[in-house]
Formats: sequence, structure tokens, C-alpha cells
Amino acid sequence: MRLVVGFAIATGFVLLVSQSEAAAGADQGAQLAATCASCHRLDGHDKGIPPIIGLGEDRLTSAMLAYRASQSPSYIMHAIALSLSDEEIASVARYVAAQGRNPP
Amino acid sequence: MKSWTRREFGCLTGAALLTALRPRMALGQAKARVVVIGGGIGGATVAKYLAASATTIDVTLVEPRQVYTTCFFSNLHLAGLRPLEQLTHGYEALTRQYGITVVHGSAEAIDPAAKTVTLNNGSTLGYDRLVVAPGIAFRDGALEGYDEAAMEIMPHAWNAGQQTRLLRQQLESMEDGGLFVLVAPPNPFRCPPAPYERASLVASYFQRRKPKAKILILDAKDSFNAQDLFQDAWNRHYPGMIEWLPAQFTGGVTAIDAKTRSVITAGATFKAAVANVIPAQMAGRLAQQAGLANRSGWCPVDPVTFESALQPGVHLVGDAIIGGDMPKSAFCANSQAKACAFAIAADLTGSARFPAHLFNTCYTYLAPDDAFSNAISFKPVDGKLKSVISFVSKVEESSEVRRQAARAAEGWYDAFTHDVFG
Ligand SMILES: Cc1cc2nc3c(=O)[nH]c(=O)nc-3n(C[C@H](O)[C@H](O)[C@H](O)COP(=O)(O)OP(=O)(O)OC[C@H]3O[C@@H](n4cnc5c(N)ncnc54)[C@H](O)[C@@H]3O)c2cc1C
Repeated sequence: MRLVVGFAIATGFVLLVSQSEAAAGADQGAQLAATCASCHRLDGHDKGIPPIIGLGEDRLTSAMLAYRASQSPSYIMHAIALSLSDEEIASVARYVAAQGRNPP
Repeated sequence: MKSWTRREFGCLTGAALLTALRPRMALGQAKARVVVIGGGIGGATVAKYLAASATTIDVTLVEPRQVYTTCFFSNLHLAGLRPLEQLTHGYEALTRQYGITVVHGSAEAIDPAAKTVTLNNGSTLGYDRLVVAPGIAFRDGALEGYDEAAMEIMPHAWNAGQQTRLLRQQLESMEDGGLFVLVAPPNPFRCPPAPYERASLVASYFQRRKPKAKILILDAKDSFNAQDLFQDAWNRHYPGMIEWLPAQFTGGVTAIDAKTRSVITAGATFKAAVANVIPAQMAGRLAQQAGLANRSGWCPVDPVTFESALQPGVHLVGDAIIGGDMPKSAFCANSQAKACAFAIAADLTGSARFPAHLFNTCYTYLAPDDAFSNAISFKPVDGKLKSVISFVSKVEESSEVRRQAARAAEGWYDAFTHDVFG
């Protein structure tokens, strides 16, 4: 173990990897939130499309489950929610809620 | 130096190991180089999400233009409802916030063996992965007489910017009572509802400023996208103003005479006051020259990673690809770009792979306060992109629902362009 870390530090990989762990590519919630970002700004500036930032994990999860169950009021969100599994809904809600606590 | 917690220690060593095992990431070359050709919707999105995915990837974006003008909402400009400046976006945020190197030049050649791209100024860029997103080109000789010079007289306005401005000027200086001829292209082409959205919004402008003007659509097809929604709206908003002639009726448009501003079909010649000629399309020129397109003129790709089926190590997104059920839209280009960026990042850094989600959402204007929408999700099935779930507005929707869609469209424009360029 020590050898590996020593090697990693020596080559500069520790720094690079520690940053990329937190970056979008490493997190399923972040990758799914990238889909949300095509319509909802994730910096709190939504205009004309309801904001999702600041809603909290539970409200986001229950909203997505409600959209999955019904076409009303938004068939756009119905289509999107239908394509997500329970686990995916949980991970995107967790990620988006965390963005709300800590606006980028 | 920072002291590591147990958890960080555990995941770091694992990830570092994976990274260290990758030959491309070996000592002396800490960063993988990805070059993205084309700073339109697909290319800019790939560049941004790659740069955001991993600090170990060095991203260079090659785009000839200093600013990008969106095709979406350009029909609102033609109707006099939005200045072109509001549809124009720069690349500063991509550099400032994501550290992307933006090179303003045009890619002339790709050497997949040497992994280099040659630019028009003679310089070359080396890459580990290449993404090509050149959008569309027009098919040479598809319409007799429609050459570069004719485009300045009868603009296509199918790439936004100078052409859109030109068409708007022509509409403004047209006399009331003039005939506006729109030539609609054969399938497949960029944005299936857009020619008919254009006819609708030009009609709304005529209604306000030139109520005696007429619109004639000469189509290369016998039916078109969301035809029932458009024809219903034309009857409601613009009775008697728009006439649509399918190919089976005219025999199709065969030639253009730019000198007399005439559009010639098998059966008749139509003299226009203003003509908007949208020719047949194919993948952007670079894709053709680099052997990325097949005989259809479009580029086959793997539907999971968007890697070219013809050149390994080269990925393609956006209008240039054979997208299966995915239409050639900005939303699809953006959705494909994210899937492609995450696939490349996973490959280059060893980070986890997750199933991609591909969507199209589209707002189409029928009048300034009447828009319809659709939503489709897609999945790779048997090597092709198939639509899984789809919804589209119904003819009988209330005017309030349509008004809300027109308002939501503005919110979408703001969020979407922020997602691509912000
Ligand atoms: C009138 C109209 C309305 C539309 N409305 C909508 C809408 O409401 N919603 C929607 O989703 N879509 C809409 N679209 C479609 C949308 O504009 C396209 O699908 C989208 O732009 C495709 O993205 P792309 O990246 O493939 O191509 P583009 O956005 O065209 O980008 C290609 C880029 O590549 C650059 N390039 C080309 N060759 C080279 C080279 N050799 N070297 C370097 N750079 C190069 C070009 O300069 C350009 O910037 C509309 C289109 C039109 C025409």
C-alpha cells in the first residue's frame, strides 16, 4: 500500500485524482444532473422553467416519482422520469440537492 | 502537505492504481489530450463536459468563428421578435471557467495514424482522442443554379448569423403583397420542424406588417414533421396566407434562377419577392474529407460511445452523425455530447461508467405566444439509437397550455445556452 501511494505522490497522480473524484465524471448523480442542466440552470437562475436548485433531496425524489406516475402536469418530465430507475432518481436528487446547499 | 483521511486514502490508491496502469497516462505525460473540432452545440458541450469531468484531460476546441449564433430562436429573429445579438454567444466562459484552449481556426485534415489535426494556418495539433462535430454541409449540385453566389440572393439561413441577417433584411424591404417562397429540403436534414416553424413566424410578421403578403412552401417531401399541428395553427392564426405544395403535386424543385429570383419545379416556375432556399444536406465537409461519412453522406457511430464506426479513436456528435431515431437537433447534439464526453473521460481516466440517458426536448413556435413541445427518450438497441418513450403536443391543447409552452421555451433557451457556453 505504502509503495503505491508513494508512487502516486511522486508522479503527481494523487492531486489529479483527488480533484477528479469530486468532478462530474466520477459521480453518477453528476452525470444525470448534466441531463437536467439542458433545461434547468443549476446556478439558481432559472427563468420560465421551474427551478430545481434549493428543493432538497426528499422533495426532488418525490417530485420525480410523481412525474413518473403521471403525464400531468408535464409530459416532458414524465418522459424523463420514466427513463430513470429508482437508484438513478435517488442519486440525481442527492447530487442536485447538494448543489443547492453549495451553489457553484 | 495535507494529511489523508482513511477514506480518501482508500479511494485514491484504487483510482491512482487504475490511472497508473493506463499507458497513455504514464510518467511524463500526466494529461491526456482531447481535440474537439467544431465549437457549435455538440462540440462546445463535449469540450465543456470533458474539461469538467477530469482535471487530467487537456481540452482544445477548434472553431473558426469568434462567436456562435444559434439556429434555434433564429426564426424569432426573422419575425422581428429577437435581435440577433441575443442569439450570439462567445467562448470566454469555456476558457475562463473550464480551462479549455479555444483555437480560432478551421481544421483542414485529420491523420488518424499520426493522431494529428492540421489547421488552415498550417499548424498541427496532436491528440489522444479526437471529437468531430462539424454540423451540416449542403449537397453540391442538389439544386441546379443554387451556388455560393445564389445563396447571397436567395439565402438558406440554415446556419445562423450573416445568412439570417440577410433573410431578415429581405423580408423587411419586401413590398406588401409580395410572395415569399420557402424551399423545404428532403430528409434527413437539420431540425425537422424548423422550415415550418419558419413559415409560421414569417406569417406572424407579415400579419403585423405586410398583411397582403403570401407564403408558398415548395416541399421536397409529401408530408412533414408535426404536420397536423402546423396545419391546424395555419388555419387558426393565418387563414389563407400559407400554401404548402408537396413534391407529389409539383414534381419537386429542380432548379433555381437567382437572376430572376425564380424557383423552378417540374411543372411550373414561381417568381418570388423573397426566396428562402434550404437545400439537401449531408455531414459537414471535414467529415466527408476525413473518411468519417459513408455513402449516405452521414457518419456512422457507436451509439454508446459515439466513436466512429469507420475511424477508431475519433468520435462524432451532432447533426453530422447517423443518429437512428434521434433527430438532428441542438438538444440531441447536447445530449449525445454529454454521453460521448463521459465515455471518453471514463476511458482516459479509468473513472466509473454509467448508462447514458439520451433525450430530445423541442419547443416549436406557431405564433409568438403559441408553441408546442415534444419529448423523446432514446436508448442504444442492437447498435442503433432507438426512441423509447415519446410525447408530442396535441392539436386540441388549450391556448393557455400553448402560451405556457412559449414562455417555457424562453426559459429553455436561457438554460440551454448556459449549459453549452456558460
Ligand atoms: C431554423 C432552425 C431552427 C432550429 N431550432 C432548433 C430548436 O428549437 N431546438 C433544437 O434542439 N434544435 C434546433 N435547430 C437545430 C440545431 O441548430 C442543430 O441541430 C445544432 O446546431 C447541431 O449542432 P452541431 O454541433 O452538430 O452543429 P453546429 O451547431 O452547426 O456546429 C458546427 C460547428 O462546427 C464548426 N465547423 C465546421 N467545420 C469545421 C472545421 N473544419 N473546423 C473547425 N470547425 C468547424 C462550425 O463553424 C460550427 O460552429 C434548429 C435549426 C435551424 C436551422
